[in-house]
Amino acid sequence: MATDRSRRRAWTLGAIITLVITLLYLTVGVVSGLRSAANLVVAPFSWTINAIARPIGHLFAGAINYSDVVAQNQKLRYELGKAQLRINENWAFDREMQQLTTQLKVPFVGSMPVVTAQVTTISPTNFAATVDISKGRDDGVLVGMPVVANGGLVGMVISTTPRGATVRLITDVNSSIGVTYTGSNNSMIVSGRGVNNGLGASAVSLTTTLRPGTILSTDSQNGGIFPPGLPVAKVLSVSLTPGASTYDITLQPTADLHHLYYVDVVLWEPST
Amino acid sequence: MSRALVPVTLVTLFFVGLQLSLLSTLRVDGVVIMLVWLWPFVMGLTGVTSLAVVSAIIAGLFFDTHTATPFGLTALVGVALGYATSRLGREGVGDLDSAAWWVTPLLAAVGGFVAPALYMTLGFVELNFTLWRGSVLAMMVVNAVAFMVLARPIARVARFVARVGERGRR
Repeated sequence: MATDRSRRRAWTLGAIITLVITLLYLTVGVVSGLRSAANLVVAPFSWTINAIARPIGHLFAGAINYSDVVAQNQKLRYELGKAQLRINENWAFDREMQQLTTQLKVPFVGSMPVVTAQVTTISPTNFAATVDISKGRDDGVLVGMPVVANGGLVGMVISTTPRGATVRLITDVNSSIGVTYTGSNNSMIVSGRGVNNGLGASAVSLTTTLRPGTILSTDSQNGGIFPPGLPVAKVLSVSLTPGASTYDITLQPTADLHHLYYVDVVLWEPST
Repeated sequence: MSRALVPVTLVTLFFVGLQLSLLSTLRVDGVVIMLVWLWPFVMGLTGVTSLAVVSAIIAGLFFDTHTATPFGLTALVGVALGYATSRLGREGVGDLDSAAWWVTPLLAAVGGFVAPALYMTLGFVELNFTLWRGSVLAMMVVNAVAFMVLARPIARVARFVARVGERGRR
Protein backbone atom coordinates (compact mmCIF):
# COMPACT_ATOMS: atom_id res chain seq x y z
CA MET A 1 0.00 0.00 0.00
CA ALA A 2 2.71 2.37 1.14
CA THR A 3 4.86 1.24 -1.80
CA ASP A 4 1.96 1.99 -4.18
CA ARG A 5 1.56 5.43 -2.71
CA SER A 6 5.29 6.23 -2.87
CA ARG A 7 5.42 4.91 -6.44
CA ARG A 8 2.48 7.13 -7.39
CA ARG A 9 4.19 10.07 -5.70
CA ALA A 10 7.42 9.39 -7.62
CA TRP A 11 5.51 9.21 -10.92
CA THR A 12 3.69 12.47 -10.16
CA LEU A 13 6.97 14.17 -9.25
CA GLY A 14 8.58 12.82 -12.43
CA ALA A 15 5.65 14.01 -14.55
CA ILE A 16 5.77 17.49 -13.00
CA ILE A 17 9.54 17.78 -13.56
CA THR A 18 9.16 16.62 -17.19
CA LEU A 19 6.32 19.10 -17.74
CA VAL A 20 8.30 21.99 -16.24
CA ILE A 21 11.40 21.17 -18.32
CA THR A 22 9.27 20.85 -21.49
CA LEU A 23 7.63 24.19 -20.80
CA LEU A 24 11.00 25.82 -20.13
CA TYR A 25 12.42 24.29 -23.31
CA LEU A 26 9.49 25.44 -25.44
CA THR A 27 9.60 28.97 -24.10
CA VAL A 28 13.16 30.15 -23.54
CA GLY A 29 15.43 27.12 -23.67
CA VAL A 30 16.28 24.80 -20.79
CA VAL A 31 19.41 26.42 -19.36
CA SER A 32 18.12 29.95 -19.76
CA GLY A 33 14.81 28.88 -18.21
CA LEU A 34 16.56 27.10 -15.34
CA ARG A 35 18.60 30.24 -14.69
CA SER A 36 15.47 32.39 -14.56
CA ALA A 37 13.65 29.88 -12.34
CA ALA A 38 16.67 29.48 -10.04
CA ASN A 39 17.01 33.25 -9.80
CA LEU A 40 13.37 33.52 -8.79
CA VAL A 41 13.77 30.84 -6.08
CA VAL A 42 17.06 32.11 -4.63
CA ALA A 43 16.24 35.84 -4.95
CA PRO A 44 14.13 36.10 -1.73
CA PHE A 45 16.91 34.38 0.27
CA SER A 46 19.62 36.62 -1.24
CA TRP A 47 17.45 39.70 -0.73
CA THR A 48 16.83 38.87 2.94
CA ILE A 49 20.51 38.15 3.59
CA ASN A 50 21.51 41.39 1.88
CA ALA A 51 18.90 43.37 3.77
CA ILE A 52 20.26 42.05 7.10
CA ALA A 53 23.98 41.79 6.39
CA ARG A 54 24.66 44.92 4.33
CA PRO A 55 23.59 47.55 6.92
CA ILE A 56 25.57 45.71 9.64
CA GLY A 57 28.62 45.48 7.36
CA HIS A 58 28.29 49.14 6.37
CA LEU A 59 27.94 50.17 10.02
CA PHE A 60 31.19 48.46 11.00
CA ALA A 61 33.04 49.50 7.84
CA GLY A 62 31.81 53.09 8.20
CA ALA A 63 32.77 53.30 11.87
CA ILE A 64 36.24 51.85 11.34
CA ASN A 65 37.09 53.58 8.06
CA TYR A 66 35.33 56.92 8.55
CA SER A 67 38.42 59.10 8.03
CA ASP A 68 39.35 57.05 4.94
CA VAL A 69 35.84 57.49 3.55
CA VAL A 70 36.04 61.28 4.02
CA ALA A 71 39.46 61.39 2.33
CA GLN A 72 38.22 59.17 -0.48
CA ASN A 73 35.16 61.37 -0.95
CA GLN A 74 37.35 64.47 -1.28
CA LYS A 75 39.57 62.70 -3.78
CA LEU A 76 36.55 61.53 -5.77
CA ARG A 77 35.17 65.08 -5.92
CA TYR A 78 38.51 66.23 -7.29
CA GLU A 79 38.56 63.37 -9.84
CA LEU A 80 34.98 64.16 -10.83
CA GLY A 81 35.90 67.79 -11.46
CA LYS A 82 38.86 66.71 -13.55
CA ALA A 83 36.69 64.28 -15.53
CA GLN A 84 34.11 66.99 -16.14
CA LEU A 85 36.84 69.27 -17.44
CA ARG A 86 38.10 66.51 -19.71
CA ILE A 87 34.58 65.88 -21.04
CA ASN A 88 34.26 69.55 -21.95
CA GLU A 89 37.67 69.54 -23.63
CA ASN A 90 36.92 66.33 -25.51
CA TRP A 91 33.57 67.42 -26.85
CA ALA A 92 35.07 69.07 -29.94
CA PHE A 93 37.50 66.17 -30.40
CA ASP A 94 34.64 63.65 -30.26
CA ARG A 95 32.74 65.46 -32.98
CA GLU A 96 35.82 65.51 -35.16
CA MET A 97 36.43 61.82 -34.46
CA GLN A 98 32.84 60.97 -35.29
CA GLN A 99 33.12 62.74 -38.66
CA LEU A 100 36.39 60.97 -39.43
CA THR A 101 35.10 57.51 -38.46
CA THR A 102 31.96 58.08 -40.54
CA GLN A 103 34.14 58.93 -43.52
CA LEU A 104 36.28 55.84 -42.92
CA LYS A 105 33.15 53.70 -42.36
CA VAL A 106 34.40 52.54 -38.95
CA PRO A 107 31.95 52.44 -36.02
CA PHE A 108 32.65 55.01 -33.29
CA VAL A 109 31.92 53.90 -29.73
CA GLY A 110 31.09 57.41 -28.50
CA SER A 111 28.08 57.57 -30.79
CA MET A 112 26.74 54.06 -30.10
CA PRO A 113 23.66 53.54 -27.95
CA VAL A 114 24.27 51.94 -24.57
CA VAL A 115 22.10 50.30 -21.92
CA THR A 116 23.10 51.06 -18.34
CA ALA A 117 22.74 48.08 -16.02
CA GLN A 118 23.39 47.38 -12.37
CA VAL A 119 25.80 44.61 -11.38
CA THR A 120 23.73 42.12 -9.38
CA THR A 121 26.19 39.30 -8.72
CA ILE A 122 29.97 39.26 -8.86
CA SER A 123 31.46 35.95 -9.98
CA PRO A 124 30.32 33.66 -7.15
CA THR A 125 32.94 31.04 -8.05
CA ASN A 126 36.72 30.76 -8.13
CA PHE A 127 36.66 29.24 -11.59
CA ALA A 128 35.14 31.93 -13.82
CA ALA A 129 35.49 35.70 -13.88
CA THR A 130 31.94 36.84 -14.61
CA VAL A 131 29.34 39.29 -13.34
CA ASP A 132 25.57 39.20 -13.63
CA ILE A 133 23.80 42.40 -14.66
CA SER A 134 20.23 43.60 -14.26
CA LYS A 135 19.38 44.13 -17.96
CA GLY A 136 18.69 41.36 -20.46
CA ARG A 137 17.00 40.55 -23.74
CA ASP A 138 13.97 42.71 -22.91
CA ASP A 139 16.27 45.75 -22.98
CA GLY A 140 18.05 44.77 -26.19
CA VAL A 141 21.09 43.14 -24.56
CA LEU A 142 22.37 40.29 -26.74
CA VAL A 143 25.16 37.72 -26.54
CA GLY A 144 28.46 39.13 -27.86
CA MET A 145 27.84 42.77 -26.96
CA PRO A 146 30.75 44.63 -25.32
CA VAL A 147 30.39 45.99 -21.79
CA VAL A 148 32.24 49.08 -20.58
CA ALA A 149 32.61 50.80 -17.20
CA ASN A 150 35.07 52.55 -14.90
CA GLY A 151 37.22 53.83 -17.76
CA GLY A 152 37.50 50.87 -20.10
CA LEU A 153 36.33 47.57 -21.52
CA VAL A 154 34.95 45.28 -18.81
CA GLY A 155 33.98 42.24 -20.85
CA MET A 156 31.44 40.70 -23.17
CA VAL A 157 27.90 39.40 -22.71
CA ILE A 158 27.96 35.58 -22.83
CA SER A 159 24.40 34.68 -21.91
CA THR A 160 21.11 36.45 -21.46
CA THR A 161 17.74 35.96 -19.83
CA PRO A 162 14.75 38.25 -20.43
CA ARG A 163 15.73 40.43 -17.45
CA GLY A 164 19.38 39.71 -16.87
CA ALA A 165 22.66 38.81 -18.50
CA THR A 166 26.04 37.32 -17.64
CA VAL A 167 29.17 39.21 -18.62
CA ARG A 168 32.51 37.42 -19.02
CA LEU A 169 35.19 39.75 -17.67
CA ILE A 170 38.35 40.42 -19.69
CA THR A 171 40.37 38.68 -16.95
CA ASP A 172 38.60 35.34 -17.49
CA VAL A 173 40.83 32.66 -19.04
CA ASN A 174 38.40 32.26 -21.94
CA SER A 175 38.74 35.93 -22.90
CA SER A 176 41.01 36.94 -25.83
CA ILE A 177 40.94 40.44 -27.31
CA GLY A 178 42.74 41.85 -30.35
CA VAL A 179 44.35 45.16 -29.35
CA THR A 180 46.48 47.92 -30.80
CA TYR A 181 47.82 51.25 -29.57
CA THR A 182 48.12 54.79 -30.82
CA GLY A 183 50.71 55.40 -33.51
CA SER A 184 51.22 51.74 -34.29
CA ASN A 185 50.05 49.24 -36.85
CA ASN A 186 51.02 46.34 -34.61
CA SER A 187 48.27 44.15 -33.26
CA MET A 188 48.51 41.72 -30.39
CA ILE A 189 46.25 39.47 -28.37
CA VAL A 190 45.49 40.27 -24.74
CA SER A 191 44.18 37.26 -22.79
CA GLY A 192 42.70 36.85 -19.36
CA ARG A 193 44.72 34.90 -16.81
CA GLY A 194 42.04 34.10 -14.29
CA VAL A 195 40.12 35.79 -11.54
CA ASN A 196 43.09 36.94 -9.50
CA ASN A 197 45.82 36.99 -12.12
CA GLY A 198 44.84 39.89 -14.40
CA LEU A 199 45.83 40.09 -18.05
CA GLY A 200 48.65 38.86 -20.22
CA ALA A 201 49.77 39.42 -23.80
CA SER A 202 51.27 36.79 -26.02
CA ALA A 203 53.78 37.12 -28.86
CA VAL A 204 54.68 40.78 -28.39
CA SER A 205 57.10 41.33 -31.25
CA LEU A 206 60.42 43.10 -30.67
CA THR A 207 59.44 45.61 -33.35
CA THR A 208 56.75 47.12 -31.12
CA THR A 209 57.43 50.44 -29.44
CA LEU A 210 55.51 49.78 -26.24
CA ARG A 211 56.37 51.81 -23.17
CA PRO A 212 55.03 51.66 -19.61
CA GLY A 213 51.86 53.73 -19.51
CA THR A 214 50.80 52.91 -23.10
CA ILE A 215 47.06 52.30 -23.37
CA LEU A 216 46.03 49.29 -25.46
CA SER A 217 42.63 49.54 -27.10
CA THR A 218 40.46 47.20 -29.13
CA ASP A 219 41.41 46.69 -32.73
CA SER A 220 38.66 45.89 -35.17
CA GLN A 221 40.53 46.39 -38.41
CA ASN A 222 40.35 42.70 -39.19
CA GLY A 223 36.74 42.08 -38.27
CA GLY A 224 37.25 41.84 -34.51
CA ILE A 225 34.56 41.07 -32.00
CA PHE A 226 34.68 44.52 -30.40
CA PRO A 227 34.26 48.01 -31.86
CA PRO A 228 37.62 49.77 -32.25
CA GLY A 229 39.03 52.22 -29.72
CA LEU A 230 37.76 50.75 -26.44
CA PRO A 231 40.55 51.03 -23.84
CA VAL A 232 41.45 47.54 -22.59
CA ALA A 233 44.69 47.65 -20.63
CA LYS A 234 47.58 49.81 -19.57
CA VAL A 235 51.17 48.61 -19.94
CA LEU A 236 52.83 48.51 -16.53
CA SER A 237 56.26 47.22 -17.54
CA VAL A 238 58.10 45.97 -20.60
CA SER A 239 61.04 43.63 -20.20
CA LEU A 240 63.16 41.49 -22.43
CA THR A 241 64.63 38.19 -21.29
CA PRO A 242 68.10 37.73 -22.84
CA GLY A 243 67.81 35.48 -25.87
CA ALA A 244 64.02 35.76 -26.11
CA SER A 245 62.37 36.77 -29.36
CA THR A 246 59.38 38.49 -27.75
CA TYR A 247 58.84 41.03 -25.00
CA ASP A 248 57.38 40.16 -21.59
CA ILE A 249 54.84 42.78 -20.68
CA THR A 250 52.78 43.31 -17.55
CA LEU A 251 49.31 44.68 -18.08
CA GLN A 252 46.65 46.19 -15.89
CA PRO A 253 43.00 46.48 -17.01
CA THR A 254 42.09 50.15 -17.58
CA ALA A 255 38.68 49.50 -16.02
CA ASP A 256 38.60 48.99 -12.27
CA LEU A 257 37.16 45.47 -12.18
CA HIS A 258 37.16 45.28 -8.38
CA HIS A 259 34.55 48.00 -7.95
CA LEU A 260 31.88 47.25 -10.53
CA TYR A 261 28.47 48.57 -9.53
CA TYR A 262 27.05 49.91 -12.80
CA VAL A 263 28.11 49.07 -16.35
CA ASP A 264 27.16 50.16 -19.87
CA VAL A 265 26.32 47.51 -22.43
CA VAL A 266 27.25 48.86 -25.88
CA LEU A 267 24.46 47.88 -28.28
CA TRP A 268 26.91 46.73 -30.94
CA GLU A 269 27.25 43.41 -32.69
CA PRO A 270 30.24 42.26 -34.73
CA SER A 271 28.16 42.08 -37.91
CA THR A 272 27.17 45.76 -37.60
CA MET B 1 13.80 11.69 5.13
CA SER B 2 10.59 13.14 3.62
CA ARG B 3 9.90 15.20 6.78
CA ALA B 4 13.40 16.59 6.77
CA LEU B 5 13.24 17.40 3.06
CA VAL B 6 11.46 20.73 3.53
CA PRO B 7 13.82 22.12 6.22
CA VAL B 8 16.85 20.76 4.31
CA THR B 9 15.67 22.49 1.12
CA LEU B 10 14.99 25.77 2.92
CA VAL B 11 18.30 25.77 4.81
CA THR B 12 20.15 24.79 1.62
CA LEU B 13 18.54 27.66 -0.31
CA PHE B 14 19.45 30.00 2.54
CA PHE B 15 23.09 28.89 2.25
CA VAL B 16 22.99 29.32 -1.54
CA GLY B 17 21.66 32.86 -1.00
CA LEU B 18 24.43 33.48 1.54
CA GLN B 19 27.01 32.15 -0.92
CA LEU B 20 25.77 34.31 -3.80
CA SER B 21 25.07 37.54 -1.98
CA LEU B 22 27.70 37.65 0.74
CA LEU B 23 30.53 35.19 0.20
CA SER B 24 31.04 36.13 -3.45
CA THR B 25 32.03 39.63 -2.29
CA LEU B 26 33.79 38.68 0.97
CA ARG B 27 36.80 37.05 -0.66
CA VAL B 28 39.88 35.94 1.23
CA ASP B 29 43.01 36.60 -0.83
CA GLY B 30 40.70 36.75 -3.86
CA VAL B 31 39.30 33.29 -3.12
CA VAL B 32 35.59 32.53 -2.64
CA ILE B 33 34.76 30.30 0.35
CA MET B 34 32.51 27.54 -0.97
CA LEU B 35 29.75 27.18 1.59
CA VAL B 36 27.75 25.17 -0.99
CA TRP B 37 30.33 22.38 -0.50
CA LEU B 38 30.69 22.70 3.26
CA TRP B 39 26.94 22.27 3.80
CA PRO B 40 26.55 18.80 2.19
CA PHE B 41 29.89 17.85 3.76
CA VAL B 42 28.66 18.44 7.32
CA MET B 43 25.20 17.12 6.42
CA GLY B 44 27.00 13.86 5.54
CA LEU B 45 28.63 13.79 8.97
CA THR B 46 25.16 13.38 10.49
CA GLY B 47 25.14 9.95 8.84
CA VAL B 48 22.05 10.49 6.68
CA THR B 49 23.31 9.84 3.15
CA SER B 50 20.07 10.79 1.39
CA LEU B 51 19.95 14.22 3.07
CA ALA B 52 23.62 14.86 2.27
CA VAL B 53 23.06 13.97 -1.39
CA VAL B 54 19.84 15.99 -1.66
CA SER B 55 21.44 19.07 -0.08
CA ALA B 56 24.46 18.71 -2.41
CA ILE B 57 22.25 18.49 -5.49
CA ILE B 58 20.05 21.44 -4.51
CA ALA B 59 22.97 23.65 -3.46
CA GLY B 60 25.11 22.69 -6.45
CA LEU B 61 22.44 23.07 -9.11
CA PHE B 62 21.12 26.38 -7.80
CA PHE B 63 24.67 27.67 -7.51
CA ASP B 64 25.58 26.45 -11.00
CA THR B 65 22.69 28.34 -12.57
CA HIS B 66 24.42 31.53 -11.41
CA THR B 67 27.86 30.77 -12.84
CA ALA B 68 29.44 30.37 -16.27
CA THR B 69 31.14 27.09 -15.28
CA PRO B 70 29.94 23.64 -16.46
CA PHE B 71 26.42 23.01 -15.24
CA GLY B 72 26.20 20.37 -12.54
CA LEU B 73 29.90 20.20 -11.66
CA THR B 74 29.53 21.98 -8.31
CA ALA B 75 26.66 19.61 -7.47
CA LEU B 76 28.78 16.61 -8.44
CA VAL B 77 31.62 17.65 -6.11
CA GLY B 78 29.08 18.28 -3.33
CA VAL B 79 27.55 14.83 -3.85
CA ALA B 80 30.99 13.18 -3.71
CA LEU B 81 31.88 15.04 -0.49
CA GLY B 82 28.47 14.44 1.11
CA TYR B 83 28.44 10.76 0.21
CA ALA B 84 32.00 10.18 1.48
CA THR B 85 31.35 11.93 4.80
CA SER B 86 28.02 10.17 5.28
CA ARG B 87 29.96 6.87 5.27
CA LEU B 88 32.12 8.30 8.07
CA GLY B 89 29.07 9.77 9.80
CA ARG B 90 27.41 6.32 9.94
CA GLU B 91 30.42 5.05 11.88
CA GLY B 92 30.11 7.98 14.28
CA VAL B 93 33.24 9.71 12.98
CA GLY B 94 32.81 13.48 13.19
CA ASP B 95 29.75 13.26 15.42
CA LEU B 96 29.56 16.44 17.50
CA ASP B 97 28.63 14.68 20.73
CA SER B 98 30.70 11.51 20.79
CA ALA B 99 33.86 12.32 18.78
CA ALA B 100 36.68 14.56 20.01
CA TRP B 101 36.03 18.30 19.39
CA TRP B 102 38.78 18.59 16.80
CA VAL B 103 37.62 15.71 14.55
CA THR B 104 34.88 17.65 12.70
CA PRO B 105 37.09 20.72 11.97
CA LEU B 106 39.96 18.46 10.90
CA LEU B 107 37.75 16.45 8.54
CA ALA B 108 36.28 19.69 7.18
CA ALA B 109 39.75 21.10 6.59
CA VAL B 110 40.63 18.01 4.55
CA GLY B 111 37.34 18.39 2.63
CA GLY B 112 37.98 22.07 1.94
CA PHE B 113 41.50 21.28 0.75
CA VAL B 114 40.41 18.47 -1.57
CA ALA B 115 37.22 20.03 -3.00
CA PRO B 116 38.75 22.60 -5.45
CA ALA B 117 41.17 19.95 -6.76
CA LEU B 118 38.31 17.49 -7.17
CA TYR B 119 36.34 20.14 -9.05
CA MET B 120 39.18 20.67 -11.51
CA THR B 121 39.78 16.93 -11.89
CA LEU B 122 36.11 16.35 -12.70
CA GLY B 123 36.35 19.31 -15.10
CA PHE B 124 39.22 17.56 -16.90
CA VAL B 125 37.12 14.39 -17.12
CA GLU B 126 34.43 16.55 -18.73
CA LEU B 127 37.15 17.77 -21.15
CA ASN B 128 36.98 21.30 -19.75
CA PHE B 129 40.59 22.42 -19.38
CA THR B 130 39.90 26.08 -18.64
CA LEU B 131 39.16 25.43 -14.96
CA TRP B 132 42.83 25.07 -14.12
CA ARG B 133 44.14 28.10 -12.24
CA GLY B 134 47.62 29.12 -11.15
CA SER B 135 46.15 30.07 -7.78
CA VAL B 136 44.68 26.62 -7.10
CA LEU B 137 46.82 26.16 -3.98
CA ALA B 138 45.44 29.43 -2.55
CA MET B 139 41.90 28.14 -3.24
CA MET B 140 42.64 24.86 -1.47
CA VAL B 141 44.31 26.46 1.56
CA VAL B 142 41.73 29.22 2.03
CA ASN B 143 38.84 26.77 1.75
CA ALA B 144 40.56 24.33 4.12
CA VAL B 145 40.97 27.03 6.78
CA ALA B 146 37.44 28.40 6.27
CA PHE B 147 35.90 24.90 6.40
CA MET B 148 37.84 24.20 9.60
CA VAL B 149 36.56 27.38 11.27
CA LEU B 150 32.95 27.06 10.07
CA ALA B 151 32.59 23.28 10.45
CA ARG B 152 31.28 23.09 14.01
CA PRO B 153 28.63 25.86 13.85
CA ILE B 154 27.32 24.58 10.50
CA ALA B 155 27.43 20.98 11.75
CA ARG B 156 25.09 22.06 14.56
CA VAL B 157 22.61 23.37 11.98
CA ALA B 158 22.95 20.10 10.02
CA ARG B 159 22.36 18.04 13.16
CA PHE B 160 19.25 20.08 13.99
CA VAL B 161 17.85 19.60 10.46
CA ALA B 162 18.62 15.86 10.49
CA ARG B 163 16.87 15.49 13.88
CA VAL B 164 13.74 17.05 12.39
CA GLY B 165 13.74 14.10 9.99
CA GLU B 166 14.29 11.61 12.80
CA ARG B 167 11.39 13.07 14.82
CA GLY B 168 9.21 12.71 11.72
CA ARG B 169 10.15 9.03 11.42
CA ARG B 170 9.18 8.33 15.06
